[in-house]
Amino acid sequence: MRIMKKVLLAFSITWCLALAGVVHAQAPAPEPAAAAQAPAAAPAPAMITDADISGVATPKAEDKAAGDPAGTITGTAADIPRADAAKGLAISDVVSAVGQNLIATNFIWTLVTGFLVMFMQAGFAIVETGLARAKNSNHTMMMNFMVYGVGMLAYWLIGFAIQEGGVGAVANLGGTAPLNSEYAITLFGKSWGLFGQKGIMLSGATYDVGVMVMFLFQMVFMDTALTIVTGTAAERWKYSAFIISSFIMGAFTYPLFANWAWGGGWLATLGSSYGLGHGYADFAGSGVVHSVGGITALAMAILIGPRIGKFRRDGTPNAIPGHDIVIVLLGCFILAFGWFGFNPGSTLGAAANGNLRISSVAVNTMLAGMAGSFSAMYYMWLRYGKPDASMTGNGLLAGLVAITAPSGFVNPMASVIIGLIAGVLCALSVEVVERKLKLDDVVGAISVHGTNGIWGVISVGLFADGKSNFGGAWNGVAGSVTGLFYGDMGQLVAQLIGVATLIGFVFTFSFVINMILEAVWGQRVTAKVELEGLDIPEMGALGYPEFVLKPEPAMGT
Amino acid sequence: MALVGLIVTFAGFVLAAASVGISSSTTGRLGMVLVGIVLSLIGILGVINPAYQKNAVWKK
Repeated sequence: MRIMKKVLLAFSITWCLALAGVVHAQAPAPEPAAAAQAPAAAPAPAMITDADISGVATPKAEDKAAGDPAGTITGTAADIPRADAAKGLAISDVVSAVGQNLIATNFIWTLVTGFLVMFMQAGFAIVETGLARAKNSNHTMMMNFMVYGVGMLAYWLIGFAIQEGGVGAVANLGGTAPLNSEYAITLFGKSWGLFGQKGIMLSGATYDVGVMVMFLFQMVFMDTALTIVTGTAAERWKYSAFIISSFIMGAFTYPLFANWAWGGGWLATLGSSYGLGHGYADFAGSGVVHSVGGITALAMAILIGPRIGKFRRDGTPNAIPGHDIVIVLLGCFILAFGWFGFNPGSTLGAAANGNLRISSVAVNTMLAGMAGSFSAMYYMWLRYGKPDASMTGNGLLAGLVAITAPSGFVNPMASVIIGLIAGVLCALSVEVVERKLKLDDVVGAISVHGTNGIWGVISVGLFADGKSNFGGAWNGVAGSVTGLFYGDMGQLVAQLIGVATLIGFVFTFSFVINMILEAVWGQRVTAKVELEGLDIPEMGALGYPEFVLKPEPAMGT
Repeated sequence: MALVGLIVTFAGFVLAAASVGISSSTTGRLGMVLVGIVLSLIGILGVINPAYQKNAVWKK
């Protein structure tokens, strides 16, 4: 019994000791006493020297000779130009390559979008020709074809210099500044830029790669304005008069207003000089391009008069349908496509300075065009019982015209609103122009481009939301363009001064020029030529020689 | 009459442009600009166009 108690006691002690060891082993290790730590010295910044990069591995000659199907050895440090071949790759070489790539990105962007805008000439050509009668198709198409060359010649000779001769350095395009002479006067204590004086025939210091990009891009915009007028005056405009009138418009009318808005002239400086927002802001040209074209078209419509048979003796209008609605709508699609160059390209770059906003600009553009086509179509459907094809196409264009100025400054919701209003405005304006003013506008250019160009200019002053940031400033005023609905009434006033300039100055200037041309040359063809069709008398050939043109029905008088 | 219309039209532009020097308040400038726009529209639509409509081809 005594032995059993001793064994039991020893066993219990052993178990207790074992359990204590296990518990002890599973207990979390006590936190070690915090060791006193001396504050770590900030590591010295690693300085990269030329020696660090001069030995960067480059593909071996034998690897390059074998070809590169995966693209892994194409585009390496070996492709960075070395300023000193003997010294090898230096940091300055790398930094220079970054800068050149940034500018090259902007060059490519601006040039390619400019090519898209050039293609819009084809869109305008077939829209106008389709809305004209077949007997005038050659003449109408030739006006649109040659307005490209006539405008370019005028612009190269002097127009570009007037518009951009004093614009100074364009940072996105390399920052060189040969366009550095603006003629200005002093009014109310401030400088008012009126026209540029450098860049005639792209000669002298303006023979510069950055200036070349600017010339191409601005030239295709100028030509859009010129071609608008041909649509209104079609079917009775003398071809020779069209050439002279368009030349003068490309040389003087358009470049003057464009200088004031984009070339550093007085409209752009309304903000920096007089505290009116950011000055007249027109991102891609609702005013500069479309309103100048539309207002000049208005002047021409008044001067040249309506087509024979357009109005009855009591003034009520006759519809004169175009000969090919299919190519009209195809032309509208081409224009919508080209507008992806017109608006997004107006950043003049895709890298740095907030230019990634090109995505927003593109989406704003397509939304407004879509909205305009819908509202025009439904307006016509409700009012006349049919979804009219030509007005639907014009509604698309009206939305695109209206969003052109605000596209860089507004959000998608505003874009849709602007487009919806534009479509209805276009349809209403066509009725007013035709029925109240008794003006004959063959394609509706006054309403699409003039009325909605002005609506687009005003839209900036209302809807600009202050969220854009193109390099921290616009027209020399820090911050983002902001409209009335976001707190800046001054911006609206600046826009309205632009509108007043378009209506009051551009109309007067265009009207006087064409009035003189009417007096010394004559703008309109004879009644005989007009009734026969302009193709044979003016151009010497029919647009559709294989087809027999049927006699026109007698117009109600 | 067309010449009168052109003068009225141009005067509207001059008034609008000069608003920045005539007035320093945004509201004052806004008022002058709107008057200028209306003046120009009167010149074009109320004077010049009617003058040319008198001899319109559809009236002959």
